[in-house]
Amino acid sequence: MDFRKLQSANKLKSSELLFGMALLVGVVIWALMTYFGKTGIGVVPFAVGIALLSVWGSYWTSDKIVLTMTGAKLVTESENKQLYDLVTEVCIAAGLPVPKIAIVEDNAPNAFATGRDPNHAVIAFTTGILRVMDREELQGVTAHEMAHVANRDTLVSAIAATTAGALALLSDFMMRIMIFGGGNRRDNNNNDQNPIALIASLIVLILAPLAALLLRLAISRKREALADVTAVAFTRNPTGLRRALEVLAADSTVVHQRSTAVAHIWIESPLDGSKTSQLFSTHPTLASRIATLKAMEGN
Amino acid sequence: MKVVLFVVVILVILALLAIMSRNRLVRANISVDEAFAQIDVQLKRRSDLIPNLVETVKGYAAHESGTLEAIVAARAKSTQATTFADVAAADGQLTQALRGLLAVTENYPDLKASSNFLALQEELSSTENKVSFARQFYNDNVRTLNSAIKTFPSSLFVKSAGVSPRPFYEVDDPQDRKAPQVKF
Repeated sequence: MDFRKLQSANKLKSSELLFGMALLVGVVIWALMTYFGKTGIGVVPFAVGIALLSVWGSYWTSDKIVLTMTGAKLVTESENKQLYDLVTEVCIAAGLPVPKIAIVEDNAPNAFATGRDPNHAVIAFTTGILRVMDREELQGVTAHEMAHVANRDTLVSAIAATTAGALALLSDFMMRIMIFGGGNRRDNNNNDQNPIALIASLIVLILAPLAALLLRLAISRKREALADVTAVAFTRNPTGLRRALEVLAADSTVVHQRSTAVAHIWIESPLDGSKTSQLFSTHPTLASRIATLKAMEGN
Repeated sequence: MKVVLFVVVILVILALLAIMSRNRLVRANISVDEAFAQIDVQLKRRSDLIPNLVETVKGYAAHESGTLEAIVAARAKSTQATTFADVAAADGQLTQALRGLLAVTENYPDLKASSNFLALQEELSSTENKVSFARQFYNDNVRTLNSAIKTFPSSLFVKSAGVSPRPFYEVDDPQDRKAPQVKF
């Protein structure tokens, strides 16, 4: 399978999902207008504003926040020459500046990258992953992480999080208005409304946060799949990443930080995958990722 | 009135498209230059490693003077190369010569055990990876430029942007893609 075709297919798919989110916002605004009349629109700027405020700060300072949350320690070139070399090699292949490199004291093999743009990127490895993987495997992992940087996935997930957050807030506002005295307003505004549209808009408003969450997770999974393919575009070596993922699949230890807040940034989901359904997962299954890489090794 | 406005809007859109296409060509051309500069940087790094490497190996493996001489000669050629084709050819020769050296060092356990050589070997294999990735990145950029030159609408602005198709950087090396295996 050609990595260039896979790359554009994955990019298209994640743009479609982002478009789906925009569409969802449109439908929710329609529902608000249908249910509450024009005044319902007034809450939209508040919801979007609050969501933006809560996401924007963590997006802008993501490199610093994540280092604090995961307890990663920055390393310099002289402290770990081999690791620095390895990351530099991949950056040359990707045409990216060398990011800050950090190590997390943790026995579970895992890695992540974040940062608002390539110039503020940080890549981190657990001590576990440095111990169990050889250079070719680590190169694959590094390429996957640098692919997130190159594809601006911190930005993509910040957009998805903002939209999902705004929709959750809208739905919440609406519930409060309905419960605490929305009745009068509804009688005044909606005398001429058709009841089916009213019920439909009610259902939309109730289901919107769940739909937004599912879309957000689907986007996260697509970006993971895209990062695997982009990693192959950097190294031209699907075998390294495939072997690395097999090591992760065989390993049963899980990163101690089980916080869902940073779950999406690791190369392998730190939350126990077997218990949650695929629909609610931030990552595609390791088995499907390995299968895609195997298909790329075929040619 | 409406017709005039319509024509103006169309013209503005066309002008924007033209500017974007032309910029695309110019940017692709700059990227190729930058990518070539990166190859140059990595080749220089590799050249700088060689005197130290040769000295270290000499101490343990005096019999391999032929292999060492080949490396010194290839290095001299690569530092003198100025044209694009010469740089690539000298790069290929040096890559082969270095690989030959690393192969014969297998026969010298004392050399392989020396800490100086181990550090050099890591440095060298990493530099080899960097050189090969720099070539690959260059070729990817050439590919982008050359396809922009050939495809519509950017093909219309090739003359005005002053760009021309660039050659791929090819070294004579059958196992170019094979990354050396070094255990962490």
